Order: sequence, then structure tokens, then C-alpha cells
Amino acid sequence: MTTQKSKTPKNPKKPTQKKVIKRKATKKKAIRKTTIKRKASNKNTSNKQTSNKKTSRKKTTKKSSGRFGFLFNRYSLLGLIAFLTIFSSYLVYLNIQITDKMSGRIWSLPSHVYARPLELYQGKYLTVKQLVSELTQTEYTRVQNRPTKAGQYRILNESHFEIISRDFTYWDGEQKSQGIRLSIYNNKISILHELYSDKTLPIFRLEPVKIAGIYPSTKEDRQLIKLDEVPDDLVLALLTVEDRRFYDHWGVDPRSIIRAMLANLMAGGTVQGGSTLTQQLVKNLFLSPERTLSRKINEALMALLLEINYDKSVILETYINEVYLGQNGAQQIHGFELASQYYFASSLRKLRRDQMALLVGLVKGPSWYEPRKHPERARARRDQVLKLMHEQDALTQAQLNKYMALGLGLAKKPRFSANRFPALVDLVKRQLKQDYNEEDLKSSGLQVFTSIDPFIQSQAEASVKRVISGLEKNYQQAEQLQTSLIVASSQQGEIQAMVSDRKPTFPGFNRSLDAVRQIGSLIKPAIYLTALQQPHRYTLASKLDDSPLHIKTSKEKLWSPQNYDKKFSGDILLFNALNKSRNVPTVRLGLDIGLSDISDTLHNLGVKREIPAYPSMTLGAFSLSPFDVANMYQTFAANGFNVPLKVIREVLNKDGQPLKRYPLESEKTIDEKSIYLVNHVLHQVTQTGTAKSLSNLFPQSLAGKTGTTDDLRDSWFAGFSDNQLAVAWIGRDDNQSTGLTGSSGALRLWSDLFKHLNIDSMELIQPAGVNKIWIDAESGGLSNKNCLGAVELPFIQGSEPTEKAECKSAGFIEQIKRFFN
Amino acid sequence: MPNQQVFFLLLFLSVFLLTACAPQSVIDKPATGVLPIADNPQLPDVIKSLISQSDSQYINNDFAGALATLERAVRINPRYAEVWSRMAQVYLKQGKLEQARQHAKRSNSVIKNNDSLREFNNQIIKPNSNDIQKEQLH
Repeated sequence: MTTQKSKTPKNPKKPTQKKVIKRKATKKKAIRKTTIKRKASNKNTSNKQTSNKKTSRKKTTKKSSGRFGFLFNRYSLLGLIAFLTIFSSYLVYLNIQITDKMSGRIWSLPSHVYARPLELYQGKYLTVKQLVSELTQTEYTRVQNRPTKAGQYRILNESHFEIISRDFTYWDGEQKSQGIRLSIYNNKISILHELYSDKTLPIFRLEPVKIAGIYPSTKEDRQLIKLDEVPDDLVLALLTVEDRRFYDHWGVDPRSIIRAMLANLMAGGTVQGGSTLTQQLVKNLFLSPERTLSRKINEALMALLLEINYDKSVILETYINEVYLGQNGAQQIHGFELASQYYFASSLRKLRRDQMALLVGLVKGPSWYEPRKHPERARARRDQVLKLMHEQDALTQAQLNKYMALGLGLAKKPRFSANRFPALVDLVKRQLKQDYNEEDLKSSGLQVFTSIDPFIQSQAEASVKRVISGLEKNYQQAEQLQTSLIVASSQQGEIQAMVSDRKPTFPGFNRSLDAVRQIGSLIKPAIYLTALQQPHRYTLASKLDDSPLHIKTSKEKLWSPQNYDKKFSGDILLFNALNKSRNVPTVRLGLDIGLSDISDTLHNLGVKREIPAYPSMTLGAFSLSPFDVANMYQTFAANGFNVPLKVIREVLNKDGQPLKRYPLESEKTIDEKSIYLVNHVLHQVTQTGTAKSLSNLFPQSLAGKTGTTDDLRDSWFAGFSDNQLAVAWIGRDDNQSTGLTGSSGALRLWSDLFKHLNIDSMELIQPAGVNKIWIDAESGGLSNKNCLGAVELPFIQGSEPTEKAECKSAGFIEQIKRFFN
Repeated sequence: MPNQQVFFLLLFLSVFLLTACAPQSVIDKPATGVLPIADNPQLPDVIKSLISQSDSQYINNDFAGALATLERAVRINPRYAEVWSRMAQVYLKQGKLEQARQHAKRSNSVIKNNDSLREFNNQIIKPNSNDIQKEQLH
């Protein structure tokens, strides 16, 4: 037997006896048998004790006949009583320590963050590749024949899936394991049935991917596993190597201690430990690692007490979840299940026997045998464990040879990583901290269910890598670019993906939340919205003045805003000024309607930061984070309903009991008519305005706005379809010029992402009280669709233009185009 | 008398046809504790199934569960006014009037041709909607 976390062993221990450990058919049986044995041995012990007492009484009677015998016996009796009192008090103290810890929270359990569950239903957009990726991430095993166990699936003819799901506890209850059959045709689910039945399933939830952990400050991580779920081979290997008489001793095994002492004496140093599994557990849970006699005595006493208080199965299960098995940077790997994920990227129940042997071998010295650093040592140790298993008849000679010939079978990368989605996990933590304190978050084993979509996240990460490197290559000025990309569901405001660094897995500065940058022209829709809320003053056909403007900002300072092209177009209609993102008419409009009204509109759109009230704010010369911008544009996407962006859906405790739900909250903060008018123009922006490149790339109807700040420091694009909203920002951390406009930078990132997503065309429902009328795009007067330069614009009832414009025929080709539009 | 028989036959037929031609009410009068049926034939099976599940939860006074199920439906497709309206009704039952009103407004914002549903939502939106709540609570 070895000591856990022991220092570098000079000579790995050898088996000393060939006693076969007959692991019972079930662990319960073994324990029951042990209990019977114990009862029998209790009887024997008490009989022996009774007879011993009788003998000692006789002896005492004889000895007490001396002169000072009476006095001597009295003092020794008093001394004995005092010793026994102190000793039993100490035992009570130790016992309280044990029961306190074991009955309460034994470990600090990290909280686990889950992605959204994949909802399967007929008609859902889903590619075969996406489904396979989802099944792989949730650790499903692909089989060639019919799946028979939960967690298995097979694919027939490349598009028909047979899946047996696992039991899973959601916020609204447990979903039992179920067999399903689904077919994918043209990237949509065409059939969803119960497995081996014609019964149609209207909907089925596939359990969510576990994407991250929120770890305790001790950096301990573990994934609890129940003893029933631990493979028998692992238990057998563990007991063979660490404690063969586990089911026979009472926490301390004198035979093993003597055997270890002899072996150490012969070797002239420590080569073998005599600690039982129970002692090892006691040492890890309750004691310091120092090697002193008093600690050893405490260890033995506590091991005895632990055995008296708890069943063998509890002790074994606790050991399996507690044992230290490695180090992942600052993070400690505790327990066999997590170690299995760390070394083999697989759950324990799916490991081969040789892999289990390696894990068991690591107990002796996780750093000495660390298989990624010291593969040869690890292999020798694994083979040693395999041989021991063979000696115990757990492996045949052929199996032994087969397993010893295999490599270590390590995964290249651990499956789990605290930093896989650093920006998203940071957001989850920040939102959780509103309801939970830091310590509970890290140690209570909360199960946090989120709206994170692993597929969209992977697409967002790929887009960031692709586009940023492309921009740096193509634009000589562009270098050291940084970025943020946020994706949310446009109607429900649920965050689905977020990237905050050009290296998406780099856990540094969270730009999406903390990079507060000037927003440039992204402010404009808010200004035009404020104006259009006063239909008696402004309509989409109102004329704005695009001529030089000089504003006195202080006694000596004059501010002269410029358009991006440094030109002035004279009069321009309001819709066109927004469509073409003209600066000067926007400043005039903003000053006319008032800065405080614009500020109010921004707050109604969901912006929570203070907005400065100076004229240049009309050109976005104030700072917001990409997350703030996403909040703002979500209200446009949801037609005036502000839904604060959220990432958490539900929280369960470690036992799967519901703790809190974060419901969809929606508030109508902008009237549907004025926002309809602005959204109409934001759609035009993607057709004929600053983002017209999208019209060639997407058949779907989209809406959005570009943003560029002074000296090309920030490049923005915020846009949405019916189902998806995304905000892209590109800039530099040192706030120097990127050489990119909104169109040449962020828009490319945005469109690259959207090309890889399933996008629904934007659907603008014309509200009651809004009419569409053909007007002349130059003068703003009434026109008709056959006239040259006529455009169809929506107007709030009663605000339509009344003057007629001169009509020049649009020409045959133009009329045909309009007919088809 | 044959004329009388013909008269009654015609009367019966006209009553029958008039009944058949009468516009079907989308929102049925709710039974105690039961939500009215969202009788939209265009609702896909997945949405119907989730609405039905949320109804069961509602009947069992599991209002949070009913809302969670309706949110699943909204995630699948937020364009079904019936789902938003149902959420409004659950909030109303919970006594969360403001949330009920907001969800009824949301329902109205995606209604295309369903005047009775709009009318039902407007009952929730109007200032004295707490009367409806009282009715539902009874």
C-alpha cells in the first residue's frame, strides 16, 4: 500500500502476497458480507473481552493483598480513569470532526456551466455535421450496430440518426433516457420518431454540453461520480494496488503495517506504505501532510472512527472522488472521473482497462508518473498495475499482453478547460454575482444553465480568426487589431456567443464587456428615432440641411463637423441622411430635437451609462461597450421591446433542485410606429446605404448600421435578422488608428459570421396607423411608383406629405424592376 | 302537412348553416383554472405540444414551469402571438400585472390577422386588467 501524494518513490512497490481479492458481484453484496463478518467478529471480540475481564479480576484480587497495594491500585485506577476520560473526550472530539465534515459539504464543488440544450423538432434547421458535433461534445459514443445503451448513437445512410439519450435533470424536471430516431433532409429535421416505433415526437431535448467550471479559490476541481457508476474493473484495480484487505479491516490493517515495516527495514528506507484506503482518505480530508508520530496516531484513530460511522461503500465512493491525481496549471485534479476527463478526454465509464490501470497507478505519485511529462515512467507503472490485475485473475494472459502492448492512449488536449470560453464564462459569473456570493459560486456545485450555443460560438471564433488575420494582411495600416463579437437571439435577448479577443480562448481583458469605446455613427438611429417620435415635426421625407456648420462650443472654440467624404450635399431627405450616414445634417437634427431627448431615447433603448450632453455626442463622441451597443440594437431588432441581454436561464443546486430561473423580461420602451420607420431605413442601409455590400451576400432581408470614429480608431457594425443579432467591433487597445471604417472592418467580420449561421429574413410587420406612400426622393413631395426617383416610404398616419412632386417617367426597365421588387 | 315539413326543414337548415358559418372564436371562454385554447391551425406541432405542456403545468399551479415551457416555444419561433399571449395570462394569474401587460403588448406586436386575440390581449393591457386577474383567481 502506498501513501497518496507520496514523494518520488525510489522503488515502486511489489506485490507481497498473492491473495486473490474476490470482488463480489456487486459492491453491495461485498459490503453486506463484510457487515456479517463484522457482526461475527464483534461477538467474538466481546466474548474474548468478557473472559479477559474475568481473568484480570482474579489476578487483581491476588495482587491486592500487599501492604501498599491498596494505595497503588487506587492511584493507578484514578490515573486510568483520568486517562480514559481524556482519551474518550479526544475521541469524541475527533468523531465530531469526522461527522461534521462527512455530513456537510465534504468538498468545495465548482459550479458547472451548461450550454443550451439542443431542441430537436420537425422542421428545425440542423446539419448532420452540427448534430454529430453536438453528440460528440456531450460524449455520445457512435456505434455501428443498433444503439442499446444510453449515450450511444448510430448514423445510417449519412442522414438518419438513432440516438439513446441519457437521463438528465433540467430546471423543469427530469427527462428520462429515451430512444429517438431522426432524419435530416436538406439541413432540416424531416422526421423525429421514437426509436423502433412510428410514434412521432413533437419535440425532444438533447442534454446540454457542459462548457465550463467556476472553480474554488483552492483551484480544486472534481466531478462527482457515484459508486454504482464506477466501473468494476477500476475498483478492482484500485483495491488490488492500494488496499487488498479493504473489505476486511477496520480502517487500520496491522498486517499491512507490519509487512510495510519489514519491507522498509529490508530496503533501508521507505519503499512501502501501510496505510489503508481509509487512512489515506482521513489524511487527505482531515490532516496535514506532515509525517509525525502524533499525526500517524490521529490518522489511525480517525480511520477507526470513520469505519465505525460509515459504510465501506461511502468510504470507497468518497475516496474515489477525493484522491488527488494531477495538476492542470494551477488547477488540482481530484477524483477519478475528472482525471479521466483530463488525461483521456472521456468519462470514466468509457475507459479501457489499461487506461483505468494508468489512473490507478497515478495514485502513488501523480507528478512522478505524470503521463504527459513522463510517458515512460507512466507506462511502466501502468504495466505494473496490469500485472497485479493479472495476478489477481482479473486479466487473462492474453488480455495482459494485449493491454501492455497498447500505448497510453492519452488525449492531446484535456476535454475540460476553465478557459475554453473565457469571455462567456466571465459574463456568466458577473450575472451570477448579482444573486450569489463569490464563495457559494465557487464551492456549492451550482449547475448553471445558459443560452450559450456551442455551434454559434465556434462559428464566431472561426470568423474572428479568419477576418482579423485577413484584414491585417490586406490593409497595411491594420495591425495589432483587437476585436469583440457578440451574438444574441434578436427577439429574446439571449446571448448565444461572445468573443472578446483576437485569440478567442485567451482569458484576458474582456473587451465585449469592458472595452468602452466611442460608438461613432451607431448613435444615429437613436437620433432619427427621437425625431420620428414627433411626426408633426419630422417624417422620413423631411428635408435636412447638409451644408457647412459651425458651432461655438466655448468662448474661443468652434466645432465644424464634417461628413465622411468631406463634402456637403445641400438639402437631403431625412431617410437618406440616415441611410448614407451623413454627419452634418445629423448634428443639425440632434441639436434641433435636443440632447436630453436623445439621451432619454438611448436609455429607453437599453443603454444604462451616463450620456454626455454636448453637441458632438450627436456623432457618437461618447463611449459604450460592445455589450451596451448590443443591448441598444436589440431593442431595434425586437421592434421597440427592450429585453435586457442575459446569458443565464436557470440555476440548480448540486442535487438538481431548482434554485432560480431568470425569466424572459420584455418591456415596450419605444412606440412601434417610430421604430418601424427607423427599421425600414436600417434595412435600406443594407441595400443601398453604407452596408450595401450585404445585399450581394445575403438573399435574406437584414438591417444594421455601420460606425466609424475619428481617425478610424473604431470600426463598428451592429445588425440583425429576424432571429439573430450581432455586434462587431474592431479597434486597437492603444486607441490608435486601425485604418478601417465600419464597412471595411467590422461589417466584414459580421457578414463572415452571418454567412455561417442559419439566418431568417427580417420580418417587419407594418403597425396599424402607418401607411406606405411613394414620394420623390429629391424633393420629398408626393409621387408615384412610375415616376423617376420615386421611393416608397412609411409614414405615421397624418404626417404624410401633401405637396405633389413633378413626375418624370421612370422608364420601362426601372418600372419592371419596381414591379418585381 | 308537406308544406309545414318543408318549412321546418328549411328553418333547421338555415339555423345549421348560420351556426356553421359563424366566425369561430379563437379564444374560448376559459373554464375555471384552464387557459383558453389557442385555436390557430397554423401553429406547428412543436408549438402546440409546448403550449399543451404549459397548460398542464398551469392547471397544476406550476406557473414558473408553464412560463419556462412557453419560453421554449418563443425560442423556437417568437412570431406566434398565441404564445406571448399565453405568457401574459400566466403572469396575470401570478398577479404580475406589469409583466402580463408587456407580454400582451408583445403578442399584439406579432399578430397578423387575429382580431379576437388582439381583443383578448387588450383586455389585459387596459388599466383595469386586474379585474380579469381577479376573475382568473376565482
